Amino acid sequence: MKDFQLFSPTELEEALDLLTRHCGQMRILAGGTDLLIRMRDGQVQPETVLDLTRISALHFLRQDSNAIEIGPLITHTEVLCSPLLNQETPLLVQACRTIGGWQIRNRGTIGGNLCNASPAGDAVPPLYVLAAECTLASRRGRRVLPIQAFFHGPGQTVLAPDELLVGIQFPSPQPTPLQFFEKIGQRKALAISKVNMAFLGWTDQEGRFQKVRIALGAVAPTVVRAVRTEDYLVGKRPTADVIQAASDMIETEVQPIGDIRSTEQYRREVSGELLRLGLAKCQKEEHG
Amino acid sequence: MKDRVIGQSVPKYDAGPKASGLLQYADDFTLPGMLYGKVFRAKVQAAILLGVRTERAEQLPGVHAVITAKDVPNNNLRARFGQSTDVGGQFEGLYRVLAEKEVRYYGEPIALVAAESPDLAEQACQLIEVDLQPLPGVFDSVGAMEPGSRQVGEKPNNIASHFKIRQGDVDQGFAQADVIVEGTYRVPYQDHAYLEPESGLAWSDDDGTINIRVSSQVIEHFREVAEILNLPHSKVRYLGTWIGGGFGRKEDITVESYLALLAWKTRKPVKLTYTRAESLLYHCKRHPFQMEYKTGATKDGKLVALQARLISDCGAYSALSPWVLLYATVNAAGPYQIPNVKVDSYAVMTNTAITSAFRGFGAPQANFAYESQIQKLAHILGLDPLEFRERNYLQTGEAFATGWIYERPIPLTELAQKAWSGLGPLGSAEGGRKLGRGVAIGMGSYGRLTFLHDTSRSYIKLELDGSAIIRCGVPDVGGGQGHILCQIVAQELGVPLERIKLHITDSQLTPLAGTTTATRQLMMSGNATLKAANELKKRLLIKAGQLLNVPIENLIITLNRIEVESSRKEGVSLVEVINRLSGEGEELFVEAQFNAPFTDIPASEVLQGQTHPDFTFGAYAAEVEVDEQTGQVQINKIVAAFDVGKALNPAIVEGQIEGGCIQGVGYALFEDMAIHNGVIQTPSFAEYLIPTAVDVPDITVILLESGSGVGPYGAKGIGEPPMVGIAPALVNAIEDAVGVRIADLPVTPEKIRMAIAQKPEGKR
Repeated sequence: MKDFQLFSPTELEEALDLLTRHCGQMRILAGGTDLLIRMRDGQVQPETVLDLTRISALHFLRQDSNAIEIGPLITHTEVLCSPLLNQETPLLVQACRTIGGWQIRNRGTIGGNLCNASPAGDAVPPLYVLAAECTLASRRGRRVLPIQAFFHGPGQTVLAPDELLVGIQFPSPQPTPLQFFEKIGQRKALAISKVNMAFLGWTDQEGRFQKVRIALGAVAPTVVRAVRTEDYLVGKRPTADVIQAASDMIETEVQPIGDIRSTEQYRREVSGELLRLGLAKCQKEEHG
Repeated sequence: MKDRVIGQSVPKYDAGPKASGLLQYADDFTLPGMLYGKVFRAKVQAAILLGVRTERAEQLPGVHAVITAKDVPNNNLRARFGQSTDVGGQFEGLYRVLAEKEVRYYGEPIALVAAESPDLAEQACQLIEVDLQPLPGVFDSVGAMEPGSRQVGEKPNNIASHFKIRQGDVDQGFAQADVIVEGTYRVPYQDHAYLEPESGLAWSDDDGTINIRVSSQVIEHFREVAEILNLPHSKVRYLGTWIGGGFGRKEDITVESYLALLAWKTRKPVKLTYTRAESLLYHCKRHPFQMEYKTGATKDGKLVALQARLISDCGAYSALSPWVLLYATVNAAGPYQIPNVKVDSYAVMTNTAITSAFRGFGAPQANFAYESQIQKLAHILGLDPLEFRERNYLQTGEAFATGWIYERPIPLTELAQKAWSGLGPLGSAEGGRKLGRGVAIGMGSYGRLTFLHDTSRSYIKLELDGSAIIRCGVPDVGGGQGHILCQIVAQELGVPLERIKLHITDSQLTPLAGTTTATRQLMMSGNATLKAANELKKRLLIKAGQLLNVPIENLIITLNRIEVESSRKEGVSLVEVINRLSGEGEELFVEAQFNAPFTDIPASEVLQGQTHPDFTFGAYAAEVEVDEQTGQVQINKIVAAFDVGKALNPAIVEGQIEGGCIQGVGYALFEDMAIHNGVIQTPSFAEYLIPTAVDVPDITVILLESGSGVGPYGAKGIGEPPMVGIAPALVNAIEDAVGVRIADLPVTPEKIRMAIAQKPEGKR
């Protein structure tokens, strides 16, 4: 690993100053689970690294009236252990549980997962269906973006060189919806997703979907919403036929590629199956 | 002493230090003033190497040496197979230390650097310049054999090796067959994926002797390293370390020739440890094979003919490929009685990563093919797969396809039935998944090829206080290769285990015990140690008999004592007997040599007669759940049943079987080494996925003890055989679940889903 200069500010303002001063030259370290690997094998050779880990203002998890706010430094393990998130957004907890192993989850952060902008990042689809917003800050001021506007493409976000992700917030889903996170990896643990899906759906008294949000990862340059399938499901009960039709529809809404982890065809075909698998699990939990 | 230590699951003495982290592995050793080695590698698959410019690297302050082929006293070696027998012919290949005049594969070492820090060594590598004239690569092993293919190396038609089996007349055999099935099977590369990457530390003594402390399965490589350096064999010394996993990869030379060269050139200690990426991208793999099979049976379920053509990709240098191919050929027909067999096998050179030894050594490849064929025949004949196998298992006194008449028990009927019934009542599948079960059998050799005239030596010395020292040059890869020698000495001489000190792997001070490969150490060094122990035991008993005034037949050795068997209170302490012997000038040490069964070197490429000391037989049964839509497989249960001859330490034996099984699960379902035009695309364990604990169910191990092995106490070898049988058992179970049979490993969800979609009745 090449020598580099490390800055470890404790105040957000100081961090933003540093970013402005080293505009475009700095790599940002949150959990380090990706950055350190890339630095070690020379893919990334930064002159300066901004270590965020001592900034307490980026490390919070709270509920304000109806909104849940997550600081970017919250680790996957902290998500798993949060009573609030277990109560309100089990799908985010499920997603974080499938990320890496214990060591990675202890270090890796929600903010890091977002800023890495991997199309396969497991924490991202849940935040899509939760209609999360990202707060970005720089010396120039703050801006708030819906999560889908945060990503440009694989590995690319809209963050300006002097900007930091400082918060993620979403409305607490009310009333409690049907929700799940499903993933297909090459093995049961420590595997990057071939396809993943987050689902949030509210039903009426008769069990018909009133509102549905579906987001899929690893099947397009960024996480995508399956909007046509969402529309199709509204007003319908999740019967076997409906789920089948919805699954088929999802396959037409994704644009996966083939890579080292899977084939284009497989990703497309099983993306719909995640809906079936996830809903079956939800129904089992309801009845069992 | 009746089975006091032998047959007991006493903990390996290295287990505690390993679990607590106290044990020193190769990379833990350092020396003052140590330099760091680094290998500079080709970033092209095939090229003419016009020149290497190292001046800029050499001028970097802190760089002590940059070595290229021209600096290596003997850069091109005739690669032999460890020990001394000269077998000549097609078994040999070229072992080239550093690329010379040409580059044959991506990652081929071109230069070596020694510098004062790893970073400096890395920087120096970046300053090395090469002039290359790229050549078209040869990447397809089948195509590489075709006339007109560019010759990759020194072998005409790129065929490094060719073996044959000719038994009976296959044309007549197929004419008698009522059913003939054909199939083409492909098995993939596999990485050894051990915890400890290749590592070592070398230094030069004041008399110029080169010492290499290295994680190696073969300390006898001191001979090759001496030849590389043009030094007498006596001036290169290996000091092995406890090995953090070998699985065959540390059978070939890894870092030690580079270390030796750097230490020789700089006269300073040099350390070289590969990164995981270097280990994954550039070290040898398991041979991928393409196997075309044709198997015929009569309608009453008797096999009548088998024809097979095996093609292995041996990469850019032949390494151990001829030997692996020989094993695959011997295994091609499996433990079945088939009157007509014709096998042709080829190891073919390509511009890809070198392939060489890996647990199973050619047997798992052939096993997948012959067992797949058996399963297909059983289906077509409408016979229960177990019953069909039972009608065809080789029986004691019958001949393998090589014509070797086998006189030991072959309890495959019992093993397969035990494995199958061990699955218990059928479970129920979750969430609409389909349940399936499969069984398969296999055989794996133990001990090296009998024409290599293998030997091992071991030394035991009794101390005056009744403790004991063992010296035996046995590398321990974690399978208890060292520990079991202590159990043998404890058993025979009554010395408590904790009072035995074992010295392993010093090529100059421990008697040479041969390679920890070929599942040979228990048989070879176990027998050598037992022989030495028996000689000492005789001396002890004679003296005790004199002291107690009883015939030695009436004496037994117990813990620290020699007693009269019929009257156990009568006895004498071990210490007293030892001291008497010592006082009378008797030798209290013995070095013994064990010779394996010897046969003649094959006269031609047709394999005939006995090739191995013995085989271990086993069976696997598995239950899986398959999701038809996603193609995902969950393994619910695995039962393994092996005839181990005698389990000298059942916990170690079970551990070997579980480990081999899991490595086989990875081979069958998970490990997908992507190679594009000869370049490996999986540089880390994030891309090259091996099974994790949650992917593997509990494995039930059933041990059968026929007592018929060539090893001490009738033990058979168990290191490699558990790699065999698990892949076809899983594929059979998947077929049972969802009705599709995959012929290409690994069986990924992608392949299962596609096969289901292509079924005539189709999905949906």
